[in-house]
Amino acid sequence: MSATFEKPPVESYERGEKRTKGLNRSQIRRARISGIVMLLLAAAVAVLFVPNAEGVATFGISTVDDAIQLDALVVPVQATLWAIVLILGFMGASQFVKGFQRRATLILGISFGLFTIAMMVWATAGAEFSLISMLVATVSRCTPIALGALSGVLCERSGVVNIGIEGMLLGGAFSGVVIGSLVGGWVGLLAATLTGGILALLLAVLSVNFRVDQIIIGVVINILVLGLTSFLTAQVLVKNPEWNDAPIFPSIQIPLLSDIPVIGPMFFNQTIIVYGMYVLVASVTYLLFRTRWGLRTRSVGENPRAADSLGVSVAKVRYWAVVSGGLVGGFAGAWFTLGTVGRFDEGMTAGTGFIGLAAMIFGAWNPVGALGAALIFGFAESLEQKFALLDIPIPTEFLAMAPYLVTIVVVAGLVGRARPPAADGQPYTKE
Amino acid sequence: MKTNLKFAAALVAASALVLAGCSSSSDSTESSAAAATSAAAEETMEASAEASAEGDTAAAMLKACEVTDVGGVDDKGFNQKAYKGVTDAADQLGVEATVLESQAETDYATNIQSFVDQGCGVIITVGFLLGDATKEAANANPDTPFTIVDYAYGDGEITNNNVLGQVFNTDEAAFLAGYLAAGTSKTGKVGTFGGVNIPPVTIFMDGFYYGVQKYNADNGTNVKVIGWDPAKQKGLFTENFESLDDGRTFAQNLVDEGADIVMPVAGPVGLGSAALASELGTDKLMIIGVDSDQYESDTANAGVYLTSVLKNMDVTTFNAIQSVVDGTFEGGVTVGTLDNGGVGLAPFHDMDASVPQELKDQLATIQAGIIDGSVSVKG
Repeated sequence: MSATFEKPPVESYERGEKRTKGLNRSQIRRARISGIVMLLLAAAVAVLFVPNAEGVATFGISTVDDAIQLDALVVPVQATLWAIVLILGFMGASQFVKGFQRRATLILGISFGLFTIAMMVWATAGAEFSLISMLVATVSRCTPIALGALSGVLCERSGVVNIGIEGMLLGGAFSGVVIGSLVGGWVGLLAATLTGGILALLLAVLSVNFRVDQIIIGVVINILVLGLTSFLTAQVLVKNPEWNDAPIFPSIQIPLLSDIPVIGPMFFNQTIIVYGMYVLVASVTYLLFRTRWGLRTRSVGENPRAADSLGVSVAKVRYWAVVSGGLVGGFAGAWFTLGTVGRFDEGMTAGTGFIGLAAMIFGAWNPVGALGAALIFGFAESLEQKFALLDIPIPTEFLAMAPYLVTIVVVAGLVGRARPPAADGQPYTKE
Repeated sequence: MKTNLKFAAALVAASALVLAGCSSSSDSTESSAAAATSAAAEETMEASAEASAEGDTAAAMLKACEVTDVGGVDDKGFNQKAYKGVTDAADQLGVEATVLESQAETDYATNIQSFVDQGCGVIITVGFLLGDATKEAANANPDTPFTIVDYAYGDGEITNNNVLGQVFNTDEAAFLAGYLAAGTSKTGKVGTFGGVNIPPVTIFMDGFYYGVQKYNADNGTNVKVIGWDPAKQKGLFTENFESLDDGRTFAQNLVDEGADIVMPVAGPVGLGSAALASELGTDKLMIIGVDSDQYESDTANAGVYLTSVLKNMDVTTFNAIQSVVDGTFEGGVTVGTLDNGGVGLAPFHDMDASVPQELKDQLATIQAGIIDGSVSVKG
């Protein structure tokens, strides 16, 4: 499976492709396609946005509680849109002709970002909206997605597919609210985390010891938790409303950091669960890529036989990875009840676990990448709300769809190649 | 699995039915009443007659069966209120009350069918979204009386005219709420958002919007409504009736844009908005409840409700069941209005002191005007 055999020799390139030396044919095709996409984005801005927008767009970038008040950002609409058309056009053309090679993904990302900015400026022309509140909401909404994705990363890096993230979130949300109501928020948080861990233990036992199809176990976990929590809600919570009234973790301002304009309210005036997410993303990144445990986990996920032959216990490594993934998933579940509304309702996670799964793939099975993807999804959700208020002619349902379209593009391999761990989903049998 | 759960629930219901049958056929009517009370809070519940009369056998045979929308029977609003009509009928008319919760839109038809199979005497479907499933079932079972909340069928759609559609002029009550909100807002901006862009939701938002405009016209103010534009029929929608977190973020969004009073029209989603309001304090955000008096149903956040726009489907549902019991059931459409008490504005409760007497007087005038037709709620 050595990659060098797949590359045809340079001489076999057809005429006109010499400028793209060092790239093989599929890379050239990818460069062409993404170049065309960028040119299309430029054309879309020029045709759709420029003729229909005039005046200035006003973006509020300070909340009323900020220590340092910044004036609202006033942007001339026409000039900004034309500048974006030019940049997009230039980048698209050079991508089409020679390709940015390694940076192509980054450039394409920047293009989508510019397009989004163009859309925001166009939509806000002659009006104003609070950009900062949208960014705050972005970070808050991305938290369960990022944690769900992190849960997936931990499991899948060890070679166990975790479709059950949604169930772990829901289970965590439920036990978090019950224990939180009866004992207190912190104990509730602990209970939520442990619930995720217990569900993951089920996944680990069935997938590692009994080698059941991991996709099926995940689906079973989701349905089991949905059914169980719905049943318990109807039978227990409805009769005992005081069991469904948990304290909500307040936002905590981090001194000094929270005073930084824009960044402060976005990242440093959030609840403990959001801070927990930062810590977990950083520590999982460190653990996976800088420690012996991480190396073993990844090797088990890529080639369990080789790892086994070197004396690594595949079963043990997978148990650790899956259970810690479950703990993260349960912790994420607490966000829904203890982090926002203090109340459980049936099916309240509303598919966030699956979005987390998409974020994991989008982020290429890397914790930081997953966080980035989660931020994009969170941003799209927040933007959708603002656009609904601004009353633009694009249906908001389409905007809600946009991040998933991007995910499909990414998963389809147009931009680079999101490669799962080689042994992902395969039970390991020792010979 | 979900269907299995339903099936299990149906089994439980069936066995409970047998048990209830035993107890009532034994000696005293009191024991069955006790059974009814103990089971009253259950999702799948049974209630047999506490009523005494001898000729009650016909009524006791009658099963009133409700299919909820996805919000669930404990949503402290829409579904719960309709269910109250069913339980009231169980208490007062001696019918048996049964409910199946829809977990997804795919459950509507199956739930209705399972009630048809159980031989329900009247089937109550709750919600506009159940309109198609109800129509199909009603046409397939022309002898079973149906009643649906929030849907009115056109002529000829129901072949045997065995469906009573319950619709509500909610905009009349929401108009009052908008008028009140405009007069109470300190920021000069009030907000609203909906669950899904369907008529029974947007009629609240329409009324609310025009109520604010009426206040502006009467008092020379310029209070703005964000989240809904009745001319374009476009606005802010969570696209679900389940995610409480959406209720919180949507309300936060409206607060960030300057609103200090928000009316969420999204079933339990609004409970998330109420949670935000109790965190921020009522000087920053007050909530206008919908469907039921949420001051009473959402006790955890009772203090944040300025008022609630009442939609009394418990009364209309009860009346429909009664007509089946009396044998006077007729298909067609019944319309709840301010005049007949089908819709209304809840008391202000804790907020009573913060609503000036002058505004209360104005509201009374407007209400009278709507009833006698001199005030139009259509803008």
